[in-house]
Amino acid sequence: MINLYQFIPEIFILSLILITLCFGLFNKDRAISLNTLGFILLSILLLNYGKDFYSSTQLSLNTINLFVLSKIILCIGSIVFILLLKRPLKNENLYRYEYVLFILFAILGSFVLISSNNFLTAFIGLELQSLSLYLMAAFNTKNLFSNEAGIKYFSLGALSSGFLLFGISMIYYDTGSFSIQNLDNFTAISEIGLSLVLISLFFKVSAAPFHIWTPDVYEGSPTISTLFFATLPKFASLIFLFRVYQELNIFNIKSLNYIFQMVCAISLLVGVYGAITQKVIKRLLAFSSINHIGFMLLGIMSYQFMSEGTLFFYLIIYLITTFGIFAVLLNLRTVDGEFTKISQLNGLRFTSNSKSISMLVFFFSLAGIPPFAGFFAKFFILSASINDGFIMLSIIAVLSSVIAAFYYLTIIKNMFFNKSEIELLDDNNKTGKVIFISFGLIITLFFIYPDPLINLVDNLFK
Amino acid sequence: MSFPILSLLILTPIIGALTLSLSSSTQLKNKTIFLSGLWITTGEFLLSLLLPIFYDKSKNGYQFIEFHTWFDKFDINYYVGVDGVSIPLILLTTFLVPICLLCSINSIQNRAKEFVIYFLLLESFIIGVFVSIDLVIFYVFFEAVLIPMFLIIGIWGGENRLYATFKFFLYTLAGSVLMLLAIIYIISKVKSGNIELISDFTFDHQIELVLFLCFFASFAIKVPMFPFHTWLPDAHVQAPTSGSVILAGVLLKLGAYGFIRLSLPFFEYASIYFQPMIFALSCVAIVYTSIVALRQLDMKKMIAYSSVAHMGFVTIGIFTLTQDGINGAYFQMISHGIVSAALFLIVGVVYERHHTRMISDYSGVTNVMPKYSFFFMVFMLSSVGLPGTSGFVGEFLVIMSTISVNVYLTFFTAIGVILGASYMLLLYKNINFGDLKSDIKQLADLTNIEIFYFSCLAFLTMLLGIYPKLLFEMINKSISLSII
Repeated sequence: MINLYQFIPEIFILSLILITLCFGLFNKDRAISLNTLGFILLSILLLNYGKDFYSSTQLSLNTINLFVLSKIILCIGSIVFILLLKRPLKNENLYRYEYVLFILFAILGSFVLISSNNFLTAFIGLELQSLSLYLMAAFNTKNLFSNEAGIKYFSLGALSSGFLLFGISMIYYDTGSFSIQNLDNFTAISEIGLSLVLISLFFKVSAAPFHIWTPDVYEGSPTISTLFFATLPKFASLIFLFRVYQELNIFNIKSLNYIFQMVCAISLLVGVYGAITQKVIKRLLAFSSINHIGFMLLGIMSYQFMSEGTLFFYLIIYLITTFGIFAVLLNLRTVDGEFTKISQLNGLRFTSNSKSISMLVFFFSLAGIPPFAGFFAKFFILSASINDGFIMLSIIAVLSSVIAAFYYLTIIKNMFFNKSEIELLDDNNKTGKVIFISFGLIITLFFIYPDPLINLVDNLFK
Repeated sequence: MSFPILSLLILTPIIGALTLSLSSSTQLKNKTIFLSGLWITTGEFLLSLLLPIFYDKSKNGYQFIEFHTWFDKFDINYYVGVDGVSIPLILLTTFLVPICLLCSINSIQNRAKEFVIYFLLLESFIIGVFVSIDLVIFYVFFEAVLIPMFLIIGIWGGENRLYATFKFFLYTLAGSVLMLLAIIYIISKVKSGNIELISDFTFDHQIELVLFLCFFASFAIKVPMFPFHTWLPDAHVQAPTSGSVILAGVLLKLGAYGFIRLSLPFFEYASIYFQPMIFALSCVAIVYTSIVALRQLDMKKMIAYSSVAHMGFVTIGIFTLTQDGINGAYFQMISHGIVSAALFLIVGVVYERHHTRMISDYSGVTNVMPKYSFFFMVFMLSSVGLPGTSGFVGEFLVIMSTISVNVYLTFFTAIGVILGASYMLLLYKNINFGDLKSDIKQLADLTNIEIFYFSCLAFLTMLLGIYPKLLFEMINKSISLSII
């Protein structure tokens, strides 16, 4: 007997999709703002009754908490995202309600992915998520780069899905089950199968050396889609990766653990070396996100030492920072179109106080320099990894963050030291402004008083 | 005393900076902004004077302690307190910051509000370093200092400022992330970040050596010691006068303070093990950078190199691991903080009037600026180490303490003194004496403000030189505790 109780969040989103589909035909503004309301409702629902949804399952309390917390984060992220998207889409003449549908499908896929206990369900979730992402990348149909990004993303993503399916089928061949849990007796075949599954997941979170698509897709897609790629789906895939690592005890499987460590080290290094020479800000952010994925993988690996807490702290801070940075970028436009180059940031200090100071906060936080919350995010990851004995990886991680500081400083240099060459148009988007200012404050406040965040994470993992 | 004076010291400049940043910049004149900055920092200075007054010199350990839990889970606490080692440095900081603001009233014309805000933030972060007795908040403040300094050099610096400020930031960051790893390791072993608890903990010898090197990387870059010193001349030359003053006066001391406060008590075995290496590096620093300083054409660069040489005395003194040596090193730190700050101000005075720092562009300045030459002489002699000035006491104690450790060391440090005298005298001679050049005839002598802060600095130099007990009384007990 299947208990439908545990599907309430997914069913909720599905009905939201149907309502938006019907309603959007008549009034797209209302349809979009309806979704904000829907997500607020869903997050309240999850916050209060989240644990009851899964009480009929045989999952451990820890896993249930993981589901609830990550779904709440996805909901809040979607709210912020939907609030942000109106103006940038209008600027590009792309303001259609279908865009919100893609988001909804991607979030639905992420929900399924996060809470799946079965490789096949995970595959369905991942595909649902990815297909919406491909469409979002190519959403600006009149722009060649956007088309290129969509096709690139699609073809490479399809390849990685192939890997995933092949891996899953190998595991099924070996064990006769799709289940993520209770996979005890490993043989070489399921090890290979699992490594293929991991490769596919690494591709989704854009860990190096499976990152090739990232800079191009980031650059080509409309900026608002880039923001989405950089945050929520990646977050969901990472949570799933974390679950796979934990449930299957990859720590004990030597070969896979080795792959994990290599990918972590390569991501840390590729992320920083790729970013140094970039001139386009979205490409730079793509590489910097690869570096951060390295840190997150380090957090996943060192789960024996209170990893959920550290990982979630890092993820939340990273999400807030990324949202903040993109909120600023989306608010900037040049006379002849979208804002792309780092050098176009020149002299932002003189034109806008709030933007430049928020950017300063976000980039120093990404670089992990106190007094911003990014410092503690990195600090916790590093203390977890040192406690778990990953000394070499920790050294690579901190040295990579020094190099990373270089290009974050370059951006700050452009904003604070250089004189502006071109005129930046201020979009005067009030929502965006409120979002980046409040996120900048949050990043500073979480450094001084991180208790709310830590308690939230802690309570859920008790 | 339950009055939270240390938190107040940290918070006052931050609150000042916040209020300044909230005020609208178009209405305020530069002068008003600087004046309000001056009020805040002077208040801060007066507040910090309470520390030596209420500090009980007869007691061991930290005083004015404040303790608040920050992260329960990781045992990271906001834990501050001061002892004899930190109080003089806090006073030095609060004393120098108003002077920095005073000297830039005329030279900083654009973006004055930002300038004052960054200086206020810088001040509170530096004080944070000196008062923290928990490793994590020590590190937090130690790193946070970089941000305002990066902006100060980058915005108001000279023509090659970007190179200098990037070099400064990345060099220091590279050192301190290694220290971060060591700190995390120590906390995971000791289960606490409390400095006193960690001092009692004994590490495995091999690991202790590695940990020492991690801390050394950070502090040696900050001091700076010989192979890591190349960022300093660049940063000094490009920084605005006030930036140089705070850099030479206080920031360099953070490294030496770290050695005294953390390295010595934590790693007793490693401190002895690495003694020869540090002596060798310091000797090279003293002799080599002195010779380099002799050949400099740029005044600021010369004084920057002389800073490296003087800080060589400090590291030698600290690692003699004797009471006299550390006392001397500490005295040298304070003295260098005053004197080199004054020398950078001296350079700033003529630079502001003549817009060049090349030594060859000046000669016969004493004819037009007699008061200037007088103050220049006082600080020059103090830098050389003339008896009666503060420079003498520190150098004398350090050299004396080296005899008990290694006579060759004494030889090299003494050579450093001679070389120091020669380049400083040369600098003084070239600028002040000789034929009066036609284009410096119109240089105006010191203004009243300049006379005011130079006489404050000169008074302090003389006071410490004539009555050094004032400082020794304060530090003796605390230093004797940190020796093995």
